[in-house]
Amino acid sequence: MRNESLFEQLQDRPVARVVVNCAVTVLSVLLCLMISPTRLPGMEVAGIGPNWLLIWVVAWSVKRSMLQGALAGLALGLIQDGMTAHTPTHVISLMLVGILTARLRKERYLREDFISVALIAFAMAVMAETVMAIQYSIQGDRSLVEIWTYHQLIALGSAVLSSLWAPVIYFPLNRWWQQMSLLEQQS
Amino acid sequence: MFTLRRWWDRHRLQIILASLALGSAAFLRQTEGAVLYEVYKLVAFPFQPNLERKQALENAQVQELQQRLTELESQNQQLRSLVGYVAEAKKSQITAPVVGRSADHWWQHLILGRGTQDGVQPGSIVMAPGGLVGRVIAVTPNTSRVLLLSDPSSRVGATVSRSRNMGYVRGQTSNRAIMEFFDKVPDVRQGDVITTSSLSKLFPVGLPIGRVQSINLNKSPAPEAVIELSTPISFLEWAVVYPHKPSVQTVPSNPGQSSEKAGGSVPAQSEPIEPQL
Repeated sequence: MRNESLFEQLQDRPVARVVVNCAVTVLSVLLCLMISPTRLPGMEVAGIGPNWLLIWVVAWSVKRSMLQGALAGLALGLIQDGMTAHTPTHVISLMLVGILTARLRKERYLREDFISVALIAFAMAVMAETVMAIQYSIQGDRSLVEIWTYHQLIALGSAVLSSLWAPVIYFPLNRWWQQMSLLEQQS
Repeated sequence: MFTLRRWWDRHRLQIILASLALGSAAFLRQTEGAVLYEVYKLVAFPFQPNLERKQALENAQVQELQQRLTELESQNQQLRSLVGYVAEAKKSQITAPVVGRSADHWWQHLILGRGTQDGVQPGSIVMAPGGLVGRVIAVTPNTSRVLLLSDPSSRVGATVSRSRNMGYVRGQTSNRAIMEFFDKVPDVRQGDVITTSSLSKLFPVGLPIGRVQSINLNKSPAPEAVIELSTPISFLEWAVVYPHKPSVQTVPSNPGQSSEKAGGSVPAQSEPIEPQL
């Protein structure tokens, strides 16, 4: 009931709606940023955890345009660069994730949201780690054999875990954004 | 002009929000996520291991060994003073809880719950039960980021403690590291203890790193040994930070592994290797 009254209140106030919507979005990003340095038991395999920022970018881009996906990838990539190291950059991989996720017309292939989001997260995690591995290969301060054997481990581990945890981020956020766009259309 | 105006009216909000988002993201990148790590410290506070209890649980044998070590160290100091060796001043130490790991999988970092307010500086040495762990590469007021020995970009000048053969240790992302020797035929055996060498500019001499697990003398260009790191890096709960000033570099670093290559804010632990040694 409380939720509905909140939505009703927001319906009449476009400014408050934008502010609340932004706050929820920013808070969800912050939550993802705060979980990334942790390795909670049950969330890691061989020291590798889910790629939370990638999950967020996928959740954001699934029902948005390519430009919006790219912008989200750019912003989160910059932040992740700040939290780890500037080179090789995470901007390229996360922007690609945003663009490709938005480009996929997933309704054509799969109806079920739960499975499609998990599948997208799996494929995108593999792709993102591959982009990172290519950057390391070009940079050339690690040996190629080391990079690509490690890449196999990371790509598989982070893809499996990211796809398992993707619905946790995707469902609440997606529901919220759907409600918001509904309100937008009504007013 | 009119179409431009209409376009602006329609997209004003999106553009403002997008530029805000990108602006704050760029700010976080430039400040190396300092704000984020401070918030992270606050959020992670209830989960931090209890240091006092940890220290109280140290068993009697460890204490006995420490006392013997102190005795031997003081004897060593006396002998050194007899031969006219100028000893370094006793350094202070900061015990810090491990509050997090790297925010992605390609880097091997630790996030410690102590920062500049407790006296941690970039370049400080981080030790844990078992030996050397890494060095501090970035600090915020209450957290610090440690580049681990197991990171592939980390290079530490090392020596075989028995035969004094020199080389350098580079990380392998797991609990193993690779030591490359400078000599063509190094005197090294399985089980030998590896410590930091006197050629290391970033680390003080004589800190234990690990043990030799296997040796490959036919490796080109230099013979290699697989080192088992003596610290259990994957499940560390606390570490000890020692302030350390990297000594002034007299020899320009080897271009093959210069710190510029590892790039940006993270100086690689490249050790300048003197060609004549």
